[in-house]
Amino acid sequence: MIARWIEYLRERANIVRGCFFAFLLFAVIFDFLIERPKPHFFGDTIIGFWSLFGFLGCLLMIVICKGLSHVWLERKEDPYDDR
Amino acid sequence: MMIVDLFIHPTSWFILGALLMPFAKRFGIQQIWLIVIPLVAMATIYRLPDSFGIVNYLGFELQFGRVDSLTFIFLHVFTLMALIGCIFGLRVKETGQHIAAFLYVAGSLGVTLAGDYLTLFIFWELMAFASTFLIWYRKKKRSIEAGYRYLLVHTAGGLILLAGIFLLYQTGHDLSFGILSQEGAGWAEYLIMIGFLLNAAAPPIHAWLPDAYPEATVTGAVFMCAFTTKTAVYVLMRGFPGFEILAIIGACMALYGVAYAVIENDARRILAYHVVSQVGYMVCGVGIGTAMALNGVAAHAYAHIIYKALLFMGAGAVLEMTGRSKLSELGGLYRTMPLTMIFTIIGGIAISGFPLTSGFVSKSMIVAAAGYNHQPVLLVMLLLAGVGTFLSVGIKLPYFIWFGKDSGIRVKEAPWNMQLAMAMAAFICILFGVYPAALYSMLPYAAEYQPYYAYHLSETFQLFGFTGLGFYLMVKYLKPHDVTNLDLDWFYRKGSVRFISFAKGPIVAANEWVSNVYQKIGLRMTMALARAFSWFDKEGIDWTIDGSARNIVEGGNSVRQIQTGRIQHYIAAGVIAVLVVLVVVLFI
Repeated sequence: MIARWIEYLRERANIVRGCFFAFLLFAVIFDFLIERPKPHFFGDTIIGFWSLFGFLGCLLMIVICKGLSHVWLERKEDPYDDR
Repeated sequence: MMIVDLFIHPTSWFILGALLMPFAKRFGIQQIWLIVIPLVAMATIYRLPDSFGIVNYLGFELQFGRVDSLTFIFLHVFTLMALIGCIFGLRVKETGQHIAAFLYVAGSLGVTLAGDYLTLFIFWELMAFASTFLIWYRKKKRSIEAGYRYLLVHTAGGLILLAGIFLLYQTGHDLSFGILSQEGAGWAEYLIMIGFLLNAAAPPIHAWLPDAYPEATVTGAVFMCAFTTKTAVYVLMRGFPGFEILAIIGACMALYGVAYAVIENDARRILAYHVVSQVGYMVCGVGIGTAMALNGVAAHAYAHIIYKALLFMGAGAVLEMTGRSKLSELGGLYRTMPLTMIFTIIGGIAISGFPLTSGFVSKSMIVAAAGYNHQPVLLVMLLLAGVGTFLSVGIKLPYFIWFGKDSGIRVKEAPWNMQLAMAMAAFICILFGVYPAALYSMLPYAAEYQPYYAYHLSETFQLFGFTGLGFYLMVKYLKPHDVTNLDLDWFYRKGSVRFISFAKGPIVAANEWVSNVYQKIGLRMTMALARAFSWFDKEGIDWTIDGSARNIVEGGNSVRQIQTGRIQHYIAAGVIAVLVVLVVVLFI
């Protein structure tokens, strides 16, 4: 039942994608409307700050971690299995 | 102590349960036994007196039971987790694995209730020893090796802790376990802290965790992710609240674990790194040390135990059914394991801190405490770790197991007992999210916190929405490859190999050079000396030498028999030696 429901959504990927972008729009608009408590640091005073923080944080994390992994940390097989 | 008194203590029930497990198996009631013991232990924690089990042993006052609201919340979650874990592992036939799990839980409860350092240390070692068997029972070569490394690292950590305890006793002659103050903290306090931090998996002494947990048995990993690190968080809360260094270490842990989780491939290894990250939040909260932060730590420990166990159960169920745990070998499982998928996703959104899940009401308390305490750098580090958490466990893990590229694997759904255990954990995750009072009513300190307010919701929506966008854009780049990443265990795994090759190279060469010199010069001198002695020898003490030579040969034989070559015997000998040293140091 659940599997069939997921298949149904997968066939309509455009609608799902549309909903996702609608949610992003909602999240930003929502930030305009709410009441702001006493800020803890400068980011709390900027509207949409956390959108940027989430997006850039995510991209930087992927780029930096994957990059480090690629040039330095990753080993194809078990690096300790050489006895 | 009366026998009746003995069974006030929940640990006694788990030890009794472990001892009688073979008989339960013999009479075919092992499964009932696995449910009854945690239930009984759970019932006992509601009726604990404030202080009990005070024993005078060799002049030391040992306190086996010290109970307050902080103890209670940890006892509550530990016994509940034992029940969920037992249900999950109900169909595991090996009695030994259940015995190990019971003794492990017993150790953890014993530490939580311990009122002095000696009692704490005894149960601390019981935990390390029992949990090693949860790794060994996987019975693969990698697991056996990982288990030995785990045991060695924890033995080292235990010795550091013991050294701290000795020093503490030397200065104050008081072993009661209470709050230590940051002012005037010296070697004793910091050695104890290092011992605790090793079990909390704080970098750079964390590598044992992602090394061992992915190699443990399916059920073993579910138990292990709950007890060792959270017991460490409990003792840190008890002993070191407000130590600033912990706030910094914790925030770094949170980011370190997440960074590795983003790049790892094995599902259980990703989750293991997330233990490091989530425990980082708690260590950070302990370091902030305000009432709100400490409440947040207790709440987050409770929530974390449940959702992390849920995630390990989900990944474990997949491993049990498919025999695989690498993301690069999985994919498309939503067709046949949809219920496991739903439970795991609930765990994933709970760890990320989605509204209406337990993570939202617990994690935000620590983050808010950092804000109220005017530590914006910590606040930003913790929120960034939250972004990484959602990226790696909220999206990446379920996406590449249940969706992504179809691996063609078609297996049955996990058995009913595993699903029941997952459903229980998932229920608790949601319950705390929609009804936070259920969690907050157990918190140890007086501090008001309301998680649901507009700004917090807005912040969360934006963070998760745009992290999701990042994933959507970068999904190709995140595709898992069959690789392993180096971590700091390199130093004792590869480092030791390097040391041996160094020993084979320069040290052997130096040794040969010395022996050459010896042969050329030393040997002649020795020969000359020998001739001189030989003359002296012949002159009349022959009979003395003969007698002692015979004795030496016999003595050598008996020493040779002691060297059995079995590691168990050496461990036992080591334990006895430590006890002897203990007695000598403390009493003479």
